[in-house]
Amino acid sequence: MDFTESLQMAVKTLTANKLRSSLTMLGIIIGNASVIAMVGIGEGAQKYINEQLQTLGPNVLFIVPGNRQTRELGGLEIPRTLVVADADAIQAQVPTVVGVAPEFSSRDLIVFRNRSANASVVGTNEQFLTVRSFEMAQGRFLSKLDLDRHSQVAVLGATLAERLFDQTPPIGQSIRIRGASFEIVGIMARKGSNLGLDYDDAVILPITTQASRLVGQRQSPYGIEVAFISVSAESRESMSRAEFQITNLLRLRHNIRDEDDFFIQSQDTLLNIAGTITGALTVMLAAIAGISLLVGGIGIMNIMLVSVRERTQEIGLRKAIGASQQDILAQFLIEAIILSIAGGIVGTGLGISGILVISTLTPFEAGVSMGAIAIAVGVSGGIGLFFGVFPARQAAKLDPIVALRTA
Amino acid sequence: MTPLIQFQQVSKVYGMGNTEVHALWQVDLTISRGEYCAIMGPSGSGKSTAMNVIGCLDRPTSGSYYFDGENVAALDDTALTHIRNRKIGFVFQQFHLLPQLTALENVMLPMVYAGVPAAERRDRATRALQQVGLGDRIVNKPTQLSGGQQQRVAIARAIVNCPLLILADEPTGALDSHTTQEVLTIFEELHQSGITVVMVTHEPEVAKHTQRIVWFRDGQVIEPHLNPKDIGALTAPA
Repeated sequence: MDFTESLQMAVKTLTANKLRSSLTMLGIIIGNASVIAMVGIGEGAQKYINEQLQTLGPNVLFIVPGNRQTRELGGLEIPRTLVVADADAIQAQVPTVVGVAPEFSSRDLIVFRNRSANASVVGTNEQFLTVRSFEMAQGRFLSKLDLDRHSQVAVLGATLAERLFDQTPPIGQSIRIRGASFEIVGIMARKGSNLGLDYDDAVILPITTQASRLVGQRQSPYGIEVAFISVSAESRESMSRAEFQITNLLRLRHNIRDEDDFFIQSQDTLLNIAGTITGALTVMLAAIAGISLLVGGIGIMNIMLVSVRERTQEIGLRKAIGASQQDILAQFLIEAIILSIAGGIVGTGLGISGILVISTLTPFEAGVSMGAIAIAVGVSGGIGLFFGVFPARQAAKLDPIVALRTA
Repeated sequence: MTPLIQFQQVSKVYGMGNTEVHALWQVDLTISRGEYCAIMGPSGSGKSTAMNVIGCLDRPTSGSYYFDGENVAALDDTALTHIRNRKIGFVFQQFHLLPQLTALENVMLPMVYAGVPAAERRDRATRALQQVGLGDRIVNKPTQLSGGQQQRVAIARAIVNCPLLILADEPTGALDSHTTQEVLTIFEELHQSGITVVMVTHEPEVAKHTQRIVWFRDGQVIEPHLNPKDIGALTAPA
């Protein structure tokens, strides 16, 4: 009995009992669909986060106040020692650095005539645009002069501009923040939100003006406090050198003897952290889905065992008229494998549709990974084989005399 | 010419130690080629066990069984399967047709296991079905056939590999008297064509159509050559 024949025979048997066959496949279908959907979602999340991090700007280092410990423990007071003067010093003294942008942000009510909006108020310097890879849509960005003079000028994010100004052209208009008035000099091009920071819905001020006119009481004894400093290095290769040089400089400036009061994160370290998290997430999702695939396999074994019991007479007859043990073994194995591969294919289809639905509903570009499909279908075939062996052996070992006599 | 079936001191023992059951005890039996004979006997007489041994479904515990000149006791499962497939055609009381297959596919089944090319299979199966008078029912599933028709499909399946022996276990047990007659007619035709037919039955009416009756009791052949005409003697066996 050759393979194609066994195949036809198995298909005939399986289609003769459609309800049972489809119920048996259900476990594998669900298992497979979830593996593919879960892995797709995991990879989508990974891609999403990577894209987000890429938009931070190329070759960027972030200097944040506080060391790893104070940041991780939370609740502890983060030292307010990182100041604008540090940013200036980095700019002046670290040769591998091409741009430095300190940032301090708060949320405030922004008022234009009779309209108002709650938005982030970000203080920074003129280099912000290049360091963080933003572009202008209209007008100009902050200038060095604005910073030196503490000019009361502001640049708007695209979303905030729409919310506040509707039809009026914003450039040249004045907005009020905590009673101080600022002239709009430019509007930035839309970039999208980024790790929870949405510069599209923000107003950008010179950090000097922000400190003197708005923050005032939050002045640190060391100078103008910043939330973090973004630094762009010359090139990707010089990033670690820049990191080293900045560390040394800041240690010197902050008189550090034992523990740093700042912490440098590169895009790479962020990518690594995110990669580890989303990787673990993907593995976890895949493991959960894998368990359902396993349960599906056990379902197949279960049904095949019932099927062997129920078809005892058929097996007896086949053996009586000339089926060898291998023939019977092959027959039941092929049935199990067909069930699981068919289930695998249907499950894959479902998984892909699930991914497509998720992609349209969430910002995740959930990818249909060919690898995941290959693995899922391969694994389900393997599951059919693995869980099919035991029932098939039971069938093959049946004594035809006993089997034929079974009523 | 060697006899087709030859038992030499064949015993079949089930169980071990104190629970040993001698289903067959030192049976000597010879059935020649071309014979048409019935195996009879009360329940528990060993006739079913004898049939299993004759059909190469089971091996004797001791003694030798020669089928077509081969000592079956010395063969492995694969060789027995081969003999059953090529040389023996089985007919059962409950027909044992596969419900998911058509009549034609059921008849083709032994050829599938024999490795007969697909085109030839269809041809031979069709002819076998015509031979039993079911040439017009080849696409029907067993459930669409009457009991007599199902048994005829089973006979077609038994003869399709051109066996030396047709071994029938109570072939008319599930049939009414009319279809019993049809089936017996087919057996008679097969016998006429030279095939050896051995049938286990407990119905004297059926056994009467054979040439010879082998009478079993308590695991032994007590009457190896009973003439079917003396069927009346069976009601009061020695």
